Amino acid sequence: MISCTEFIPVYSELFKFLEEKNGKTAVIAFWEHLSDAFLNNLRNCVVKNGLAGCFEYWSHTLSEEAADFKMTLDEDNQIFTIEMRRCPSKGRLLELRHIEPYKAYCEHCDVLYRRVLEPLGFIYELDLSRCDEACCRLTVKKKK
Amino acid sequence: MSEDKYKVLECRSSDNEYLHRDFHGALCYAVKYLDDTFGHKATAEYLQQAGVKVFSPLIAELKQKGLCAVERHFRRIFEIEGGRAIFRYEGMTLVIEVLECPAVRHLCSTGQLFTNRYCETTVNVNKAVCNAAGYDCSCVYEPGRGRCVQKFWKKENEVGQ
Repeated sequence: MISCTEFIPVYSELFKFLEEKNGKTAVIAFWEHLSDAFLNNLRNCVVKNGLAGCFEYWSHTLSEEAADFKMTLDEDNQIFTIEMRRCPSKGRLLELRHIEPYKAYCEHCDVLYRRVLEPLGFIYELDLSRCDEACCRLTVKKKK
Repeated sequence: MSEDKYKVLECRSSDNEYLHRDFHGALCYAVKYLDDTFGHKATAEYLQQAGVKVFSPLIAELKQKGLCAVERHFRRIFEIEGGRAIFRYEGMTLVIEVLECPAVRHLCSTGQLFTNRYCETTVNVNKAVCNAAGYDCSCVYEPGRGRCVQKFWKKENEVGQ
């Protein structure tokens, strides 16, 4: 059994394997499939509660992942943000000396969540400019 | 600004334990996706490649210290994830009888996708780790029941080396 605590490097190796098989297109195809098939919990939260559903979903997952973050929900202005100060996944990959992280590892967050939220009427912005430090910033806004 | 419409949640890494069981679900989807898209052989190839890379510290420990390294590895996982397993030695063979796999339990109890081939993750990762360290193994599992018997032993031509 692969423990859930060992999953992240296994996941990163999957992206490398897919890229070796059929280029980055294969990696993106997998991310899109995972978004459509696996992220129903996020989709359901947002369909039911709007932007507050983002807060509900990520407060659960990021707590279980022991992330270092600040999350805000401003319902009057319809803005949800996550300031990720240490991403538990990328942080873990950077710490492992025997693993080279997949070069575009952090892009999976962009594909997976954008694909859920944009069709539901939200603007999804993910700043990955500091992802090599395991930091990023997510902003989700209601389209006007 | 009304307070109930403005929420903040701020956490440090040390505030929570790292245990996101839904990762088992993502791995299950990965196995199903690879099977459906590239075939069973590719799934095995991926799991064995990943096994050698991700578990290289365990491979090194198995080479150096023997089967107690594998025993310690699985005992730790079952403690963290709250599974049930019996560990015993039959001569020079380590036997792990899994009575309740925490990954299968989580997938089934939360109604997530479950493929009967999910346990191929164990079969192939164990195989990769053992092959790289001069050991051999077997894993007989009951799909969907969260039960299996895993055995580990040193390859005959490696005994005494």
